[in-house]
Amino acid sequence: MAGGQERILRRRIKSVQATRKITKAMELIAASQIARSQARIVANRPYRNGMKRIIVEAALGDPAGAAKLLATPENVETAIVLVITGDRGLSGAYNSSALRAGERLVRKLRAEGANVRLFCIGKKAGAFFRFRGMEVEQSFVGFADRPTFADARLVASTVAAPFIDGGAQEVLLVSTRFLSAATQAVEVERLLPLSMPEIPHADVPKKLKGYTEFEPEVEKLLTSLAPRALESEIFSALLEGAASFHTSQQRAMAAATDNADELGQTLSRIMNRARQDSITTEIMEIVSGAEALRSGK
Amino acid sequence: MATLKVEIVSPEAALWVGEATALVARSSDGDFTILPQHTATVGDLVPGVVRVETTEGDVAFAVHGGFFQVGPDEVEGVTLATVLAGVAEKTTDIDVARAQIAKETAEAQIAAETRNEQHDTASHVLAQAALERAELRLRAAAK
Repeated sequence: MAGGQERILRRRIKSVQATRKITKAMELIAASQIARSQARIVANRPYRNGMKRIIVEAALGDPAGAAKLLATPENVETAIVLVITGDRGLSGAYNSSALRAGERLVRKLRAEGANVRLFCIGKKAGAFFRFRGMEVEQSFVGFADRPTFADARLVASTVAAPFIDGGAQEVLLVSTRFLSAATQAVEVERLLPLSMPEIPHADVPKKLKGYTEFEPEVEKLLTSLAPRALESEIFSALLEGAASFHTSQQRAMAAATDNADELGQTLSRIMNRARQDSITTEIMEIVSGAEALRSGK
Repeated sequence: MATLKVEIVSPEAALWVGEATALVARSSDGDFTILPQHTATVGDLVPGVVRVETTEGDVAFAVHGGFFQVGPDEVEGVTLATVLAGVAEKTTDIDVARAQIAKETAEAQIAAETRNEQHDTASHVLAQAALERAELRLRAAAK
């Protein structure tokens, strides 16, 4: 019956509009977080660059020590993989692309004969790997949205501990890099042994003539520098991950809002037509009824 | 004229950037002062107070360990000194009451754990670190 269809349509339109309200609100919230998380990346930049400069300086001052600390491991028996995702979903491909890259990396390492110990940041990563039957050693949750430096410290000390006592030869990081507001890309990076940082071009020290003094001597400095550099790397990866998460979520929710708009429009067109049809039918019935009565007189 | 540009930087933000006449701090080799045209240096900082002397008076920071770098000069005649600190705050921003409470809590915990002879538990180490931080804050604020 026509009236019944109209009621069903009206209910569907209502539910689409309710969903649209939610996605719109999430879009706005994510948009406001983007600016904040980007500002935090910018605020972190001087520290990060300063740290890189110091490492380069120290590495140049002590090439032998640096070679030991920065060398590519030859024989990796056990590798630690740290995957950064968000705590929440509804963020487009943000979580899934990092997770897929993480899974690929784990497969590759296992194929090469290495043991893999998995550490995760974000609820999504822990759930994903556990569901797939991979053992997750530790999962850090609750700060993926707004990481603080203390969080980065905690993660750094956890993943560095097995490396320091010889239980692992390599620490790898899978995270989403915030290249610009428009592009974010998942990257796999080696955290330990430290890789020699690439200095942004503008920063290339003009006067690196090997005339730098060290306090204390450079060997000691390098060993105390390494954990701090790791913290700095993890912190910036967390910040970029958070910014990427919010950007991705904003984009996904904007698309969802658009879809809801479109669906609502289509549904209300169908509903209007159904209503029009039922009115026409009704009029036809009345008119033909009246006609019948008149001709019956 | 040679000048000195000082940057005090923490991971969350640049705390202070500006021109200074001197930078006074302590590395694991001892106290040092950086003046304009100091030679290129890289070193560490032990927890303590980092003082920046400017023509408009001194600014002091409580720094809970970190590193510093002097140079390379970006501009001829401007010596750049960068202080990198994981945790740092301006001494005037220190909440003395909070630091005092933190100190007392840490002391109480340490005392309790010492009685129970739990010297090397993780919480004991954490409490020790918290105590050191609180004491540094109080010392820095009192100056």
